[in-house]
Amino acid sequence: MSTTFWVWFGIAVYIAAGLGIALMARRQLGVGVSEFFLANRKVGGFISAMSYSATTYSAFMMVGLAGITYLTGVGALGFELTYLCGMFMMVFFLPRFWLVGKKYGYVSPMELLSDRYQNKGVGATTAILALVFLVPYGAIQLMGVGLLMNGVSGGAIPVWAGIVVGVVCAIAWSSIAGLRSVAWTDAFQAIIMIVTSAAVLGVIIAALGGFSAFFSKLEAASPGLLTVPTAGGAWSINMFIGLALPWLFFLISNPQVSQRLFIPKSVTAMKQMLGGFLIFGFIYTMISVLWGFGATLLVPGLENADLATPKLLSLALIPTGLAIVVMIGITAAAISTIDSILLTLSSVWARDIHKGLINPKVSEKGELRVGQWVIPIMAIIAFGFAWWAADKTGLNFMIAPLASAASAGLLMAVPAIFGAFFWKRATALGAMVSCITGAIVVLIFQLTGVRPLGWWPGTWGFIVCVPLFVIVSLATKPPREKADEFIGYLRGALKKGNFI
Amino acid sequence: MTKSAWGWVWFAFLLALDIAIPWYVLTSVEKVSGAFLFWTVWAAVAIISVFVILAKWRGVEG
Repeated sequence: MSTTFWVWFGIAVYIAAGLGIALMARRQLGVGVSEFFLANRKVGGFISAMSYSATTYSAFMMVGLAGITYLTGVGALGFELTYLCGMFMMVFFLPRFWLVGKKYGYVSPMELLSDRYQNKGVGATTAILALVFLVPYGAIQLMGVGLLMNGVSGGAIPVWAGIVVGVVCAIAWSSIAGLRSVAWTDAFQAIIMIVTSAAVLGVIIAALGGFSAFFSKLEAASPGLLTVPTAGGAWSINMFIGLALPWLFFLISNPQVSQRLFIPKSVTAMKQMLGGFLIFGFIYTMISVLWGFGATLLVPGLENADLATPKLLSLALIPTGLAIVVMIGITAAAISTIDSILLTLSSVWARDIHKGLINPKVSEKGELRVGQWVIPIMAIIAFGFAWWAADKTGLNFMIAPLASAASAGLLMAVPAIFGAFFWKRATALGAMVSCITGAIVVLIFQLTGVRPLGWWPGTWGFIVCVPLFVIVSLATKPPREKADEFIGYLRGALKKGNFI
Repeated sequence: MTKSAWGWVWFAFLLALDIAIPWYVLTSVEKVSGAFLFWTVWAAVAIISVFVILAKWRGVEG
């Protein structure tokens, strides 16, 4: 039977297993908004860790990061590990989000901002920011699935068919039981992701003569890829900061991951979530980068570097069965990210825009219904973007820079988030003006390709939005009572838990 | 300085190394033992420092 048949067979088995898990999760589904979007804040450490890992790590890693490593070398490792180092900030933010989430019953990070700043406009502004910038990020996942299925099948399966598979699964996983089905399928998918990618990396390294021979061949064949900046001009400091800065603050700027800080059931579960994620992330990053370097040796000269992984998987040295299993692992990575994005965006729309601005008196049932409708709508928009971007070429349309561009927009909410937790003088107007202005700067520079002084859009946006946040806050009146109560509560609770 | 302030200082130090070592110290080392090894060890140190802090957390009611 043909490879195409086995690709479809593998996808069918994956969908059946995922559906089975999602339906099992549904049996535990209770009622209410908090239950649907946060699993009632009762998620254990292992599932939290695997779900956080699968949500964070997506097609971006094995397709995008491997692709950019293939094209530009070791700077890609530094860029991705800078993100992981940024997770150090979790020691500050994880307990803070978790504590106030439990105390005040926040469903979305935007709701936290609205309440802390005593202004629903802050939540709505950051919600719109998320809706605008998470669509390209979601679309990237779909592109990854499409490119991969197309590559592994030798072009027999069109890219759009992979995109459709991604959309349908993401809608199903997020709609069936909300966060319960997302988290359970995430855990299943995270295990597939890491086991399958490690297995194929082992095959590649063995084919190249083991680790020592692999590194020797790499040093001999592409020494320029092992330093920064590269001879070809990639990974200047400007490029590194432009890509790494949005990633550094990913843990608080991307609501699909910061919302997860509300869900652990206990401090032990929180510790397991963060510790488990760090171990997973370190291993998965190393695998993805070594994979990209392996591709430079085994499939050199590709025009589109995002095809490095699909081409690697179609080599004769990788058994077809294993290639298909890995393809499913990467598909799982993509879908586990987009379903989380859809679920978060639906909660943000329902809570922060519909209830926050349009219909404050909506019942909990009505709010939930609105959120459930938003899931397929956002999925269709992401599908359209993926379709449009899938046949574009060049660095700006590679998966890694596109992902970073999306996070560059979300980065503009970071000053407001810092202010909420650490600065009593921060104001709603400061938060809104800095978010909106920063996002406009990012969008203009992103769309026009203009990079004054060589700095990337996210860097310029940040340079504009941080001082704006401070200046406008100092010039306006803060919600003093709420700030005292919110930060005062945290001070006491953090001390009790020996958090820093 | 508070424990929290020490945490921020340590984090800033890690970020300074992230730029300084690969671009200014190892920029001409075209070997796996250059930037590749540095970033691997650097990230491992960052992760271990998180585990050191996590070990001190204790149960608390939200």
